Amino acid sequence: MLFNSLTFVVFFAVVVTAYWSVRSWNVRKNLLVVASYIFYGAWNPPFAALLFSTTAMDFWLGSRIAKAKGRHSRRMWLVASVCMNLSMLGFFKYGNFLLQNFQWLLAHFGVIYQPPHLDILLPVGISFYTFHSLSYTLDIYRGVLRPTKSLRDFILAVSFFPQLVAGPIVRAGDFLPQLVTPPGLRMGQFLWGLLLMTLGLFEKIVLADTMLSGSADRVFSYAGPLVALDSWLGVMAFAGQIFFDFAGYSICAIGAALCLGFHLKDNFRFPYAAIGFSDFWRRWHISLSTFLRDYLYIPLGGNQVRPVRAAINLVIVMFLGGLWHGAAWTFVVWGLLHGSYLVIERVIRVFFEDAPWAKNFATKFLAGLATYTAVCIAWVFFRASDFTIATRMLRGMFGGHAHGDAILSGREMLQIGIVTACMILVHCSLRESNIETAVTRLPPWVVTAAWALMACAIILTQGNSNAFIYFQF
Amino acid sequence: MPSSTSNFKRKLRLPRLFFAKPSEITPRDYERPIPQVPWRGMTVVVVLIVIAAASAWEFYCRSIGYGPTLNDNEDLWTSTRRRVKPESIVIVGDSRGWYDVDLDELQKGLGKRPVQLAMGGGCAYPVLADLANDESFHGTIICSVVPRLFVAPPGTPPMERAEKAVRRYRTQTPAQRASQYLAMPLEEHVAFLKQEELALDDLLKRLPIPNRPYAQVPPRLPPYFGTIDRERRARMIEECARPGSELARTIQQIWIPLFTPPPPPTYIPKEEFGKKMGQAIEQRFHDVAELVQKVRARGGEVIFVRFPHSGGLKDLEDRTTPRAGIWARVIKDTAAPGIYYEDFPELSGFNCPEWSHLSAGDSVEFSKRLVPHLRRALQM
Repeated sequence: MLFNSLTFVVFFAVVVTAYWSVRSWNVRKNLLVVASYIFYGAWNPPFAALLFSTTAMDFWLGSRIAKAKGRHSRRMWLVASVCMNLSMLGFFKYGNFLLQNFQWLLAHFGVIYQPPHLDILLPVGISFYTFHSLSYTLDIYRGVLRPTKSLRDFILAVSFFPQLVAGPIVRAGDFLPQLVTPPGLRMGQFLWGLLLMTLGLFEKIVLADTMLSGSADRVFSYAGPLVALDSWLGVMAFAGQIFFDFAGYSICAIGAALCLGFHLKDNFRFPYAAIGFSDFWRRWHISLSTFLRDYLYIPLGGNQVRPVRAAINLVIVMFLGGLWHGAAWTFVVWGLLHGSYLVIERVIRVFFEDAPWAKNFATKFLAGLATYTAVCIAWVFFRASDFTIATRMLRGMFGGHAHGDAILSGREMLQIGIVTACMILVHCSLRESNIETAVTRLPPWVVTAAWALMACAIILTQGNSNAFIYFQF
Repeated sequence: MPSSTSNFKRKLRLPRLFFAKPSEITPRDYERPIPQVPWRGMTVVVVLIVIAAASAWEFYCRSIGYGPTLNDNEDLWTSTRRRVKPESIVIVGDSRGWYDVDLDELQKGLGKRPVQLAMGGGCAYPVLADLANDESFHGTIICSVVPRLFVAPPGTPPMERAEKAVRRYRTQTPAQRASQYLAMPLEEHVAFLKQEELALDDLLKRLPIPNRPYAQVPPRLPPYFGTIDRERRARMIEECARPGSELARTIQQIWIPLFTPPPPPTYIPKEEFGKKMGQAIEQRFHDVAELVQKVRARGGEVIFVRFPHSGGLKDLEDRTTPRAGIWARVIKDTAAPGIYYEDFPELSGFNCPEWSHLSAGDSVEFSKRLVPHLRRALQM
């Protein structure tokens, strides 16, 4: 079920009404479990069984880890949980990719092997709920969480519908404590949740789908060479599209959760105002970057190892982060590019961090611009379906097609320019702040007008919208 | 001195964080800040503004000629596709098969109510393939042929449109189906709910913003000129059917660039492009012939129909896609019955107000006159 669908509007209205009408906390939680499974099953009912089996297995493995005596035994149960989750993810998401690469490898040694094409349908949101569930056993192993005795509570933690299919990646350790005592209905919180949902839908439906996606799609699907202006505008359109698409979903999820009395952490913090790549990753898809930091980067040694090893660790983490996004080498290159950016940034910091000019406005401005440009270059690999397209785009961006074609209309160019400029302006002005502070500081009539304008714009788009990009991940 | 193995283990040793003291699950310790603003008052004002704005927009849209009608999207197409029974009569192809056929008249004349699967700007091939590959189907397919759309190669909008609809039929989720059922009553009562006409994206496209002179921008699509019902029966609106109306004249001028063959892409040599297109069209003839044979082998039938068109558009189509070309080849290769409206005086006297489709009234009369030809083709 998509947030931007009529079905969800009706579903959410029914769930919220029923949820706040019931007094028993247990009944409310049961209601949320049923609602979450309906939400998920509305896409493909049989996959709800897969979601349940993953959850139930991790619940059981979590209790085994907690009860296990001795480090070896604990580790064994953890390995079982990791293997179970990753093999599920591997089969559904990477099955065909692995087979294709195996075929390519054999062909290199002169062995002709025609693998069967596995007609695998990717369960929506599998990358997200696998990580929700996996965080539980990992945290129990790390000793920062005690297992819950309630399977129902754990099922709800994994499948809570606002964050189920496209994040944020809410760790069991952040969600389970919220199931201990029932939240009360607070009008301000509820209405703030509704405003956030309006903002999220506005970002997704109006900014991502209406203003930017068409141009990005045309540029990336054009089979010929493009002039530099169109190539750059296409990439900038995608940079805006993916931000508004994913951040919009996250804000919707946070808003929907708030309406039900739950508190999810921020997943985005104005990333295009980042100065440097470590800053970018503290602002972009925060729930994934902190997941990878806590469960992969730190166990690999984090910063507590020699610089070269730390750099290798960074690249490994970003390589896997890239692969998490999709079963294609283009995603891997995207991840590796970000890994390289992070390493280069570290080297630069070692030499210049203490230089007096490093902290002045001009340097920060240029560093911010360089960050945005480099992030856009990396997006080429994220968006392009193969390396031919990526190469053609990069050649276009760097003037390789002086006599290329121009395909964007004046209207599209204006839309991309205005939306991108406004986006960067907002990100820069709220860089050290947050949306709650901004709303508190603004006069109420401005917030009211903005809320009404966003709602009207959503109605005007008539739901003529696409699925969220991150559903496929 | 540690062995290499112990050294390796030491290097991989998990940091202290992994062995922190376990904590109980305790009540929440994280709460999002809630802005302290007058929430109730603001919400009331927002609701009032939204209701007022939506009402004003609805009133304005109706005042300039828009009326409530369903959106012809892939979900509506899917719900119609589900009505196809093994022995159904199905109409496939482009917008002429969609606007020019009256289901009531065909039902009277052929004894069965046809299922309308033709679509505006769509290529017949993906739907033909879907039905031909449906082993249970052994009914009749009435296929409208607009040559340029019929041979549209993969990757072009006519093919993508039809493929998208067929794909939705195969993969429609329960949520998408529910959204369609919820949307239909709304669309039947609210005039501004027109996804391809009054959505924000389309309103932006109407802004008079100049393009770069050398930019390759897709041609404009025609504005709203028809309504459809739950059976996907399309009818031209009165405003467009009125002879010489501004709307009809505007649409006439939009058809010309849409039906004019686009120049070959700059990045492929002209000869190579021509050769590729030729191969793609040959392949289409071959594939269509195979599909027709599949349907016929199961006892079904496919009838190709060329519907009326007039004015400058007819001149253009006759020049760029003459009858002796694609139409003749399809009929020859498939050996299927074909009805070309110009062959029969009773089918030829119709005038298309906007050059491409019949008015709602004429579509009824045309269908009535088409029935005997269809009966003959079906040997009824």
